[in-house]
Amino acid sequence: MSTTSPSRWKAVRREAGRALTAVVIALAVALIVILCTSADPGAAFRTLLTAPLSSNRTMGLWIDDVAKLTLTGLAFSLVFQARQFSMGVQGQVYMGGLFAALIAMSPIGTTPLAIPVAMLAAMCAGAVYGFIPGYAKARFGASEIVSSLMLNYIAILVVNYLIRAHLAPAGTGQLMTAKFPDTAIFPAIIPGTRFDLGIIIALVATFAVWFLLYRTSWGLKLRLVGHNPKFAEYAGIRSSFIMVSAMTVAGAFGGLLGSVFVQGRAFGNLAQSFDGNLAFEGILIAIVARSRPLAVPFVALAYGYLRQGAQLMGIRTDVPTEMISVVQAIIILLVASSFSLPGKKFFMGLLGKKPAPATPEAAK
Amino acid sequence: MAPLLEALSIGKTYPGGTVANDGANLSVSAGEVHAVVGENGAGKSTLMKILFGIEQPDRGEIRLDGKPVNFANPREAIDQGIGMVFQHFSLVPSFSVYENVVLGSEPRNGIRFDRNEAIARVRELSEKFRLAVDPLPPVGQLPVGQQQRVEILKALYRDAKILILDEPTAVLAPQEVEELFVAVRALVAQGRTVIFIAHKLPEVLEISDRITVMRGGKTVGSVNARDVTEDSLATMMVGREIALRVDRTKGRGDVACEVKALKLTAESGATIAQDLNLKVHAGEILGLVGVEGNGQAELLEAIAGLRPIADGVVYLNGTSLSPLSVLERREQGLASIPEDRIARGLATGATIAENLIATRLADKRFVRNGLLDLKAMKANALSLIERFSIRSGGPGYAVGTLSGGNMQKVVVARELSEQPKLLLVNQPTRGVDLGATQFIWKSLTDARDGGAAVLLSSADLSELLALSDRLVVFYRGKIVAAFVNSDDLTAETLGTYMLGLSSQDPETMRAALQ
Amino acid sequence: MIELLVTVFSATFFVTVIRTTTPLLFATLGGLISDLSGALNVALEGMMLIAALTAVIVSVYAPWYVAVLSGVAAGAMLGALMALFHLRFKADIILVGFAVNILATGGTVFALAQATGGDKGTSINLQSKAVPAVNLSFLEAIPLIGPTLKALLSGHSILSWLGVFMVFAVWYFLFRTPYGLWLRGVGEYPAAPEAAGIPVGKVRAWSLVASGALAGIGGAQLAMFNYIGFTRDMTSGRGFIALGAVLLGARHPVGAMLAALLFGIFEGLAVVMPNLFNWIPGEIIQTIPFVVTVLALILFSYRAQRALKTRAQARA
Repeated sequence: MSTTSPSRWKAVRREAGRALTAVVIALAVALIVILCTSADPGAAFRTLLTAPLSSNRTMGLWIDDVAKLTLTGLAFSLVFQARQFSMGVQGQVYMGGLFAALIAMSPIGTTPLAIPVAMLAAMCAGAVYGFIPGYAKARFGASEIVSSLMLNYIAILVVNYLIRAHLAPAGTGQLMTAKFPDTAIFPAIIPGTRFDLGIIIALVATFAVWFLLYRTSWGLKLRLVGHNPKFAEYAGIRSSFIMVSAMTVAGAFGGLLGSVFVQGRAFGNLAQSFDGNLAFEGILIAIVARSRPLAVPFVALAYGYLRQGAQLMGIRTDVPTEMISVVQAIIILLVASSFSLPGKKFFMGLLGKKPAPATPEAAK
Repeated sequence: MAPLLEALSIGKTYPGGTVANDGANLSVSAGEVHAVVGENGAGKSTLMKILFGIEQPDRGEIRLDGKPVNFANPREAIDQGIGMVFQHFSLVPSFSVYENVVLGSEPRNGIRFDRNEAIARVRELSEKFRLAVDPLPPVGQLPVGQQQRVEILKALYRDAKILILDEPTAVLAPQEVEELFVAVRALVAQGRTVIFIAHKLPEVLEISDRITVMRGGKTVGSVNARDVTEDSLATMMVGREIALRVDRTKGRGDVACEVKALKLTAESGATIAQDLNLKVHAGEILGLVGVEGNGQAELLEAIAGLRPIADGVVYLNGTSLSPLSVLERREQGLASIPEDRIARGLATGATIAENLIATRLADKRFVRNGLLDLKAMKANALSLIERFSIRSGGPGYAVGTLSGGNMQKVVVARELSEQPKLLLVNQPTRGVDLGATQFIWKSLTDARDGGAAVLLSSADLSELLALSDRLVVFYRGKIVAAFVNSDDLTAETLGTYMLGLSSQDPETMRAALQ
Repeated sequence: MIELLVTVFSATFFVTVIRTTTPLLFATLGGLISDLSGALNVALEGMMLIAALTAVIVSVYAPWYVAVLSGVAAGAMLGALMALFHLRFKADIILVGFAVNILATGGTVFALAQATGGDKGTSINLQSKAVPAVNLSFLEAIPLIGPTLKALLSGHSILSWLGVFMVFAVWYFLFRTPYGLWLRGVGEYPAAPEAAGIPVGKVRAWSLVASGALAGIGGAQLAMFNYIGFTRDMTSGRGFIALGAVLLGARHPVGAMLAALLFGIFEGLAVVMPNLFNWIPGEIIQTIPFVVTVLALILFSYRAQRALKTRAQARA
């Protein structure tokens, strides 16, 4: 992808086609589920598909989600490209959010420096939190999957404790901090909506990740390690350094997402369990975008729409928001599978027939 | 005598469009050793895979005992009494010998795996067929020759009447080959039939009763072994009387690379090689001879910087390589063509342009201040694609989209894009067809003529004898002999040293090591 | 500190540990089987969660053992789903596993809402029948050690006893039956069993199914004994801790049991500590199992690296 080639657009079209097919199949299943469970399936399904466009406010919610989904998608894309399965974005988001909040609530919070310093602190916190599983893997051979997941739980519990016991206004019993000073909250781009600095940050981050991966030698090394670690070693690339640094940089983007959460207009404070499991949905974004940073915002745009539709469906109709997890799971399963357009092989497979020329079982 | 196994006008085209078999015929009688010979790429292996049910033919028919058969998978072939031993063994390293032998058809006692029965059966088989091997140790700890016996026992345990051996001698030293032949004769004596794939003609003439020659996917003919000579067989194989001839060096230069008292240890601390002393001059090819696993590959890895040096020094033009990283060594003029070029030498998901500079990420021409110079990368790729005639869509295509032969060329192109001072080569032509062999040999001699010191390791003694100017023999991690190449030097001579059966007097060795 | 020691060395604590260990043990054994067959099952968490909900819902209408069995069936079906996508459609096993986890997190809340009649299911809790405890009061009659024996052995879930048996059963299967040999061969070097005519894909598929079934028992124990009833996200990372236990368990059922027991002890500590140390915030106590998992994982990986080296050195 670093050099233009005629095959590139074909590949983009093919991937987009696959993703769309997956979404259509997933929505069809969603429709069936809604038909089976809702008293007014028409309204529920219509809400799911159209509600995000119903007002300026809902469009703002959608774009706010897009910004956040883009950032988590980027963080996952970075580690996936290095073929690491660090699942630690959620923990990084909490750590980033915590440190952004600490800055915002400190004396710096009332100065014009509040936003940049808080963002920086969040990125550093996230980077440290991303570094830990990377180092544990490189140095001790500890599975990054397990350690990063454990760190997620630890981060959530610690942040929730700090909020409850120390950061929330004393005596109120609230499970969130007071609002940050205005200087520490992202300015709105369209007043009165959640359309704020977050989306700009997400787009800049997209460009930054793309640049890192495709225009720097670090990025090339990272991709070579991801493609073939044995080759990387032979070519003199220190793969353990790349591994750790990829997880650390991804951690910084996870931390940045934490700051976008707490400093965005949606919150403007630090609350318990603030990420609403959004951080994990970056897995889906990265898989559908094939870990290509430039594809991440587009996938986030489409998926964010669906996500917001589901939220509104949960509020306005009798179908719970969580129904969307069915759609998520199906999209991941289908996109990660090697079915090809128009999915003939896949459907034949579903019917239990062998795909036309029997491919010998690839030895792992 | 009616043939036991027949293949009639077999045709097979692989999905990529490679025509592997196009009218291949084979007729094997019971109780004979039947050799199938041909150059790499002649379609021998594909035909055997079809006989064993791994591949299905597009056309043609297979008959067993006169009846048409159709094997959908190896299981069906095994059930019909056909067994196959591949070049790459399929053994589970941590399993014991007997577990590997019985895997898939275990003796049972209720739901329990009857170990004692399995061990007894393996002992019995190994005595009956003169395949001595202890049933108890894990196969991962056995030498290659013994692993091969385990593979043969596996087939015999499944009561194979017909045993297909795919290039069984490629991994063995000459004396181990003799032992294998003893076993093959024992098999035939007890009524089994052996199909023997090979391309080393003297061996073929020694062991086989009949020989089928293949070329370009077709069967050229079948002959009785005693009616042919090596020369007439070679002519049938190649279709024309050519042998790959290589010009020896025109004159070597100064010492380019010197290895002094080198000791190599595994990560575990076990000694792999010690007391290695050798010199390679600019403009010569030094062949590293030895049964695989005697330290040659590890020496190349250590020089390339992929393996730590426990003791001793390696100099390249006077500079010690030990403190240098892989990249720094490459900057000193080191290049390396690894054995498994596609698995180790390429990132198939990355583009051709990226692969072609992957080993030079410290080079100012391609990387400045950590940023890639895409224009220079593209220009570099275009010129190398042209120079090494790599067939591709362009520099921006992923390497994975190329054919196998062109992928190999990408590795060679990258390593030889600039004249190296020291070139390390491991198994340059393993699994490569004739055309590519010619190309690779030519690339190596060109590099040599350009002044490179070349260290060449190969399991193919004829390749080493063809290319090398001097040879050193490895045995158990030590250099046990050294020779200046000449027409009098034979594979058999090398073989006695490879197995540690003879030793060279220190004076002769020292002279040839200079 | 004294109070802690007294608590830890009491029979009650032992019973607590057995209770906390049982779900982990089943999930770990499940993870072990799929890991040995060459597929890292990261979906243990989701499998347990869905099995827990299934068991609880079924228990409303059927006896407890039917409920447990339906939890097992739910886990097994998820295993089959993973096998379908991983083996037939060549999807990465880790991604497939996370798809199952995502389905479980949201799907259980959704299903819970449906089961409780349209409430949106944020904080509700579904009641369940319980798995019976095995009462061994007669042990008390034994002189001298009787009362202690009763205190230690009586009152455990019947599934805990099944768990002990299962460690033996899995060991016997893996190391004493032909199919265990197949499974380990498939995991270590698939080309070998394939050449021997063993259906490699089928072996992997059945391992995933068995993995799901075992995780399913774990889920059922969690929702029908440890807690009576289902709440959202009630597995709270136990499936992932079990995954850590698989890696710690040295690829052996007894190792898996010890690892599960280690994490069970710390989860047990997290249960009893709030009563003893009310100055330690609850959230921090809750982090103990996770912190211990990370530390144990690092320590054991490090030791495994070193053991590999020293073993090879000894051989040389």
